[in-house]
Amino acid sequence: MISCTEFIPAYSELFKFLEAQGGKEAVVKFWESLSDKFLTNLHDLTATKGLAGCFEYWSHSLTEEAADFRMTLDEKKGTFEIEMRHCPSRGRLNELKHIEPYEHYCEHCDVLYRRVLEPFGFKYNIDLSTCKDATCKLTVEKESSS
Amino acid sequence: MLDPDQGLRVLDCKAIDHEYLHKDFHGALCYGIKYLDDHFGPEATTAYLRQVGRSYFAPLSQQLRGDGLAALEKHWREIFTKEGGNFSLEIQDGVLTLTVHECPAIDHLKKINQLFTPRFCETTVVVNETVCGEAGYKSSCHYEPGQGRCVQKFWKERE
Repeated sequence: MISCTEFIPAYSELFKFLEAQGGKEAVVKFWESLSDKFLTNLHDLTATKGLAGCFEYWSHSLTEEAADFRMTLDEKKGTFEIEMRHCPSRGRLNELKHIEPYEHYCEHCDVLYRRVLEPFGFKYNIDLSTCKDATCKLTVEKESSS
Repeated sequence: MLDPDQGLRVLDCKAIDHEYLHKDFHGALCYGIKYLDDHFGPEATTAYLRQVGRSYFAPLSQQLRGDGLAALEKHWREIFTKEGGNFSLEIQDGVLTLTVHECPAIDHLKKINQLFTPRFCETTVVVNETVCGEAGYKSSCHYEPGQGRCVQKFWKERE
């Protein structure tokens, strides 16, 4: 068994493997497929609870991942934000000395979540400009609030 | 901090507030195996898992080469204890036997309805073979797909 605590390096290696097979396009296609088939819990929570569903989804996953973050849901403004102060996934990859993270590793968070949330009419943005330092900022807004 | 009347909710956590154990990752790996099988064929899945074994698990191979089967026993004890698996470990006559009575990965995949492929346990078969092969050891793994039970054996290759 590859433990769930060992998953992130295996995930990064999967992206490298796919890129070697078919370029970055093959990696993005996998992310899109994973979003459709694996993120059904985020989809269902958002479908039933809107932005509160996002809050519920990431409350569960980020605490289980022992992330360092601040998450804010403002239902009046129609905004949901995650300020990631230390991403546990990228952080673990950075700590490993014997393997390199997949070059575009953090982009999976853009493709996977955008694909779930935008069809619900939300505006999705993720600032990955400092993601190699294991920090980023994710914002989801109701289109009418902008 | 929670103020539902104002429609405002805040969750602020430090890394030390929680234990790192996100079992839903088993679902993402399981889907990855199915995806590789479906789009690139089982040989590609095997090649990917060998890559994981040679790259990420290289330190485990080094420990196995240096410390023998005790290194693998320690690894499995830590992993299965952390994930809450039901298992037993035994070293006898130069063979380490890991008997998994209830696999925590399969158990979780069934709970969340994400056992995407019966070939998920090939991750164990191929990664074990690779880690052992890199260290001069051999392995076997007998399992019935999706049952959450297996018997894994490890022994030093004859020189």
